[in-house]
Amino acid sequence: MADAKTAIMDQVRQQAALQNARQLVEKLNEHCFERCVPKPGTSLSSGESTCYTACMEKYMAAWNTVSRQYLGHVQKGVGSGGGFGGI
Amino acid sequence: MDQMSVSPETAESLKNLSQKDKQELNQFIMGESQKSQIQGAVHSLTDTCFRKCITSKISSGKLDRSEEPCMQNCVDRFMDANLTVIRHLEQMRNM
Repeated sequence: MADAKTAIMDQVRQQAALQNARQLVEKLNEHCFERCVPKPGTSLSSGESTCYTACMEKYMAAWNTVSRQYLGHVQKGVGSGGGFGGI
Repeated sequence: MDQMSVSPETAESLKNLSQKDKQELNQFIMGESQKSQIQGAVHSLTDTCFRKCITSKISSGKLDRSEEPCMQNCVDRFMDANLTVIRHLEQMRNM
């Protein structure tokens, strides 16, 4: 019967990881497409690709900073009161 | 953790779990749910604060000397603002 428990736990972890990845991809595309591809051409230029890489790295650096800052608050108990349900 | 479906066999075997296992699973799910909520908040905040703080042309993949503190301030100020909203709503409720 421990099998069912482990199976569920694995599935939950997997779903959480998938959702996180999905959200990240969505935001990366949203921000970086806006910034780096102002006027879509017939293909992605090398300049646009370079911009995309820098943008993605920057966004993930920003994500890490926010995560650290936010977790700091949560640990102090300030973050209680639930999620932010869509800004 | 919006949707999750288990196979009928798993659902069936869940019923036969010991009390201890059920409790453990419950705790685990609550923990994961909380983690998921936090992650969602971080995504939301990063989205908003990136727009506010990263305004110039993106040349490097790192946050520069003004962008990093801006992101940190953004999170802090948002938490302050959130508290303001909650207090205001509580006031309204007490009228």
